[in-house]
Amino acid sequence: MNLDRRSFLGLALLGAVMPKRILAAAERLPVLDRRMLQMNAYATDAETPLDALTTYLTPNDLFFVRSHWIPVMPDPATWALTVDGEVTTPLRLSLTELKGMPKTTATCVLQCAGNGRALYRPIVPGVQWKYGAVGNARWTGVGVKDVLERAGVRGTGRHLHTYGTDTPPGKVPPFHRSVEMEKVMSEGIIAYEMNGEPLPALHGGPARLVVPGWAGDHWMKWVARLSPQPQPQTGFYVDVAYRYPNEPGEPGVPKKPDEMHPVTELFVKSNITHAPTKISMGSSATIRGFALSGAPDIVNVELGTDGERWEPARLLPDHDPYAWRLWEYEWKPAHPGANTLFVRATDSKGSVQPREPVWNQSGYLYNGWHSVTIEVTA
Amino acid sequence: MRWVLIVIPALLALGIVIALRAHDAGVAPGGGFDASRPILGAVRTPLPEGNGREVAERACLSCHSTDILRQQRLTEKQWTASVTKMVGWGAALSDTERAVLVPYLALHFGPDNEGFAPVVTRPVGP
Repeated sequence: MNLDRRSFLGLALLGAVMPKRILAAAERLPVLDRRMLQMNAYATDAETPLDALTTYLTPNDLFFVRSHWIPVMPDPATWALTVDGEVTTPLRLSLTELKGMPKTTATCVLQCAGNGRALYRPIVPGVQWKYGAVGNARWTGVGVKDVLERAGVRGTGRHLHTYGTDTPPGKVPPFHRSVEMEKVMSEGIIAYEMNGEPLPALHGGPARLVVPGWAGDHWMKWVARLSPQPQPQTGFYVDVAYRYPNEPGEPGVPKKPDEMHPVTELFVKSNITHAPTKISMGSSATIRGFALSGAPDIVNVELGTDGERWEPARLLPDHDPYAWRLWEYEWKPAHPGANTLFVRATDSKGSVQPREPVWNQSGYLYNGWHSVTIEVTA
Repeated sequence: MRWVLIVIPALLALGIVIALRAHDAGVAPGGGFDASRPILGAVRTPLPEGNGREVAERACLSCHSTDILRQQRLTEKQWTASVTKMVGWGAALSDTERAVLVPYLALHFGPDNEGFAPVVTRPVGP
């Protein structure tokens, strides 16, 4: 077969372009595996399959969605952020005005407080999230500190009350939150971008609060009002819901609200996102996953088969405060048959992921060991 | 030139694969997807038949889909507590309807309920 110069150059060009496209696709999940799991058709809730949580940044369209009720999405053209309360100069900032302020960015984990609820025993009510109400993204916007200082926040403002535009149906109480001022002034962001794109409406666009290291209930979506106040917020979603036991109790026995405190920091945990179902003796398998915490860093991820002897995984280099840490571990089975492989993480505050989480009646902050079972053939 | 005989068919095969994928798969900002899958929220699974289904449809489904009911595995006591909470939040239920609804939910979505599987959807749009 003879090729003329033009045909050869055409094929060469094709060869140069195609691998690039294929390479770009290969960095993501294969097309046919890019999917979500619908947990609620309306108000919209969806979790990400674990096998899609293998990249440092979770793509926006594979990021879990949590809605308390059917939201009224604000129009970015008319949306404004009101700042009032313990300030000398109340503000009303349009999106354009907000974008005109100094930019700040944080890459960190957003995890629903109820991620893993389905794994609690005894069973608890609520959205039965398993593993995928979590993701890691690059959030860009304006520091809460910059906005509050522009409004002249007073020292009497100790708790930032936050309000979104979504309105509950019937007599359902409003979803109001507050965050301690110290936390939100040092690390809070009013984010209008997610992974370099305008914050999608499903994820709280045009703007939402970002509270690195804290559970998603504090990350107010469609945020429209910030109000520093002397006291914490009150109401059902503070005083009754989103609370965690002060002390572990007997599983299945509910605690009273005053025996619990508001959910804030995430707990150290790790998940396996990639493992074979079957390998043969003498071969090895690469196990992959992520680890996260409400502490800024993950210092160790370990795997083992008996819950007593552990070997360290290799932490991958991508790394930011409160972001998750991807890890890899080369596993060589010691014996044939069904092998259960456990993973546990340790964070920079020294917290070690426990085998069993503390049972609580609303199923918050599940962080028990994750495991996979691999069949090893002789 | 023998390598050309390998490279050209390989490139052609690759082109066919990509063309087929472009035909079958939608394109979203984060990459392609299987366009035969539904979009998030499109699939509304009906509740199982039985005495209490109509009450559940009328009282529960104005605020949330059947998914939330169908994924629960609660005892009758837990369902009673949930329904009490929802009545307090505005679910319109007479005592008679409530007496029908709780056993219906406990029967179909009790601790042994293994019937729920999330609908697999496309990635979520912007």
